[in-house]
Amino acid sequence: MSSLPSSDSRSVRAARQARAALSRASRRAVVAAAVALGATFLMGNNAFAAPAVGQQAPDFVAVDTTGTKHKLSDFAGKFVVLEWTNPGCPFVRKHYHSGNMPATQKAATDKGVVWLAVNSTERAASDYLQPAALDAWMKSQKAAPTAVLMDEDGVIGQAYGARTTPHIFIIDPKGTLVYAGGIDSIASARPDDIKTATNYVNQALGEAFGGKPISAASTRPYGCSVKYKS
Amino acid sequence: MPAVAQWTSAPGAVVTTPHVRAELVAHAPQGVSPGAPVWLGLKIEHQPEWHTYWKNAGDSGLPTELNWTLPAGVSAGEIAWPVPRKIPVGTLANYGYEGTVLLPVPLEVPSTFQPPLAIGSGTPALDVRLKASWLVCRKECIPEEGEFSLALPLSGSTALHKAEFDAARAATPQALAKPGAVEVSGHQLQVRVEGLPASAHGKTLEFFPETPEVVRTAAVAGKDWTQRWQDGVWTATVPLAEQRSASPSTLPLVVALAEGDRQPGQPVAWRAEAPVSGTWPAAAPRAEVSPALQAALAANAADAARPGAAAATDASEPPPQPTATFVAALFGALLGGLLLNLMPCVFPILAIKVLGFARQAGDRSAHRTAGLAYTAGVMLSFLALGGAMLGLRAAGAQLGWGFQLQSPAVVAALAALFTLIGLNLAGMFEFVRAVPSSVCSAQAKHPVANDFLSGVLAVVIASPCTAPFMGASLGFAIGLPAAQALLLFAALGLGLALPYLVAGFVPAVAHLLPKPGPWMGTLRRLLAFPMFATVAWLVWVLGQQSGIDGAGTLLALLVCLAAIVWAFTLRGRTRLVIASVLIAFTAVLTAAIGRNVLQTVEPAKLAATHEQRWQPWSAERAGALLAAGQPVFIDFTAAWCVTCQYNKKTTLADAAVLADFDDRKVAMLRADWTRRDPAITAALNALGRSGVPLYVLQAPGKPPVILTEILGKDEVRAALAAL
Repeated sequence: MSSLPSSDSRSVRAARQARAALSRASRRAVVAAAVALGATFLMGNNAFAAPAVGQQAPDFVAVDTTGTKHKLSDFAGKFVVLEWTNPGCPFVRKHYHSGNMPATQKAATDKGVVWLAVNSTERAASDYLQPAALDAWMKSQKAAPTAVLMDEDGVIGQAYGARTTPHIFIIDPKGTLVYAGGIDSIASARPDDIKTATNYVNQALGEAFGGKPISAASTRPYGCSVKYKS
Repeated sequence: MPAVAQWTSAPGAVVTTPHVRAELVAHAPQGVSPGAPVWLGLKIEHQPEWHTYWKNAGDSGLPTELNWTLPAGVSAGEIAWPVPRKIPVGTLANYGYEGTVLLPVPLEVPSTFQPPLAIGSGTPALDVRLKASWLVCRKECIPEEGEFSLALPLSGSTALHKAEFDAARAATPQALAKPGAVEVSGHQLQVRVEGLPASAHGKTLEFFPETPEVVRTAAVAGKDWTQRWQDGVWTATVPLAEQRSASPSTLPLVVALAEGDRQPGQPVAWRAEAPVSGTWPAAAPRAEVSPALQAALAANAADAARPGAAAATDASEPPPQPTATFVAALFGALLGGLLLNLMPCVFPILAIKVLGFARQAGDRSAHRTAGLAYTAGVMLSFLALGGAMLGLRAAGAQLGWGFQLQSPAVVAALAALFTLIGLNLAGMFEFVRAVPSSVCSAQAKHPVANDFLSGVLAVVIASPCTAPFMGASLGFAIGLPAAQALLLFAALGLGLALPYLVAGFVPAVAHLLPKPGPWMGTLRRLLAFPMFATVAWLVWVLGQQSGIDGAGTLLALLVCLAAIVWAFTLRGRTRLVIASVLIAFTAVLTAAIGRNVLQTVEPAKLAATHEQRWQPWSAERAGALLAAGQPVFIDFTAAWCVTCQYNKKTTLADAAVLADFDDRKVAMLRADWTRRDPAITAALNALGRSGVPLYVLQAPGKPPVILTEILGKDEVRAALAAL
């Protein structure tokens, strides 16, 4: 084997370098990449077209703030609420400081609904929070989601076409998207408006559990832009 | 509210924040009088990179809001929004303003206007108060608000900000004489704008819909949306937003020259209120949840809410059998238990015991107690066996073994088990008794305890003969949830104890029993054939999973197994030599081709002949068909599910039923669960089930109809007629 063609030895060297690089990379990055890859794979060709209400919700895998992996399809048979969030956004703070979002989360999870808060803020953003910090903030707000998912690469956000924080999606037990839109009916940053607004999430879940069609299934999401990785 | 009382700490005309400087300005060149042009405006000067929003903010953000407080009778009009600019934010986009913008508002002064006398000032003035709120964003967003006030002199000219108002007017889209048209076609808008001036012809224009939530804001010009000129008419094809929440019948829209094409003194943008034709694509109808499904989902939710409850998809707990199948199995177990009584090593004992009842026709109640105690002993022994099996299974599940028939390894192991049972029944070899006979003659002092013990011992004594049946029921029960498995064992025990129990109550039964004799051996050999038939079925199931190579390999290994078992029945050196040779040969064979058994073949590669009418199921496919308005029928099936096969060959092959399907243009989808498939498992769970068969008929926008497991022709046709 002494007369190895040079291309072979090059590729062997390259492989060795790649292995070294991989071992140098932090474990978290590898996990995140794997999850992102897995998510991309799960989403298949659907990666560019966000689902419309009535269509199949794209499956995804994500790691939550405690390091646990979650897969949307594991929750088949239950309603799932996805809530795009970012504590740096005044509109998110409006709904958390007022207790509106935690109350909506609790009402949903008490019904057996799975509530996943998703943070698609990129790492480079000024208001990016590390998982532990985000977890602590959620606890400080007495938030009651099932899990808070980290989506720094924006894979899940892009798959769903999440535009604002907050932006809410509801997936029915069959995996169909049944609601996409805002948390409520008055687009403003003023907490006083919560009292007079229609909470679309409570309304949609109430109708769904009552066996009725969802009357407002597509509404206008309002808030800050999701700070996607460009 | 009267402005008179508002003079305490009046706010000024300017509010400065870290991101903007906002000022309330006015333009009334001819003073404030009815009919004279009076304009107010909020001038916003943004810090570099910061922006506020247009009336349609786009993907996020909020338009600036102005709330006026004016003297009675005076009213402010709508903001005359200057043409915005598209501000891309990553994959999203907004419409808004950077740099300096003036949002002008016309003031209506009625002819009856009586100016209040301004206190402490000689000149009569119109007091204007404004509460404005705006969202200012760079990447981060800050909602801000400010209160402004201004005293607008009634006489004399206010024209300090004339240039800004003029610039704002120049940047305001001009109304077009013709409304143009917007046509919805599929998921796009065909926009048509007529009457644009010749100077704009041929130019590339920008497009701004005033209604939010209609088009995809971030669509890239020339790539996602296109425009063209034809005979002075501008047309564009614009993609709709995927999650559109507005379906207006009129779409007010603005087209504007690109910034490089704008000439001073020339209009830069035009506005039309285009009527919308065509039909907005309906969201796929939301399938409602039927009450039955609702109940199942509620049960699922309750299960999940219980801490430590195993999820339905947990490998440690196989899916329950459908009720009909399970009832049949219970009945079979009871019969099997009865058959055990006819086995050569059980029947003589039973006959003696029962005849004993008939002879001592004295103490009836003692007989009954004895019968019940014996029954309890038998059934508890069987339950203990079942419990041991479940314990083993749980331990296996801990090790990650699944005991479902979806796993080729389990199917192969069961085939081996049933082969051994069949060989045993056919008389090729004997099982040894589980307990030495000395133990079997044990007696207890108390008569009831003694009868109970004799029940336990009956199970032990009979073990050489019952082993095949126990094996068979173990084989069936290993694929069941715990509760069902234990019930099955209880039924088997009840069957074994039944003649004794009945005889305890009705001694005359003893005379109905046949005499022990050679027929018992014949019966036993006859029973070998159902076992071999079971093996044949299991080989077919494995063939569905692993293909023809897997099935062939399994048969070869079963032959080896039979030969090894036979070799062990030999004596002396012959046994040693032949058994060693056979074991070595089997090991070589297993190493060579054994993996064929465990491979799983893609459905496409299987030699299964599916008729044209069935399409493979996927959630997306079903959703797409429903969205397109076509009803779907889904057959959740598996090769190892006998009921499924029966339905497939009868009802689902019936010409009249199939004709009805065709008449209703029902798309027929088959979800094959022979191999483990998480998507199908999830779909079953979503319908409140965890096993096959499951037949679902769903019309667009209606809840899914779940048909019974043993599918009747009339039932299917009735369900189709109700579509």
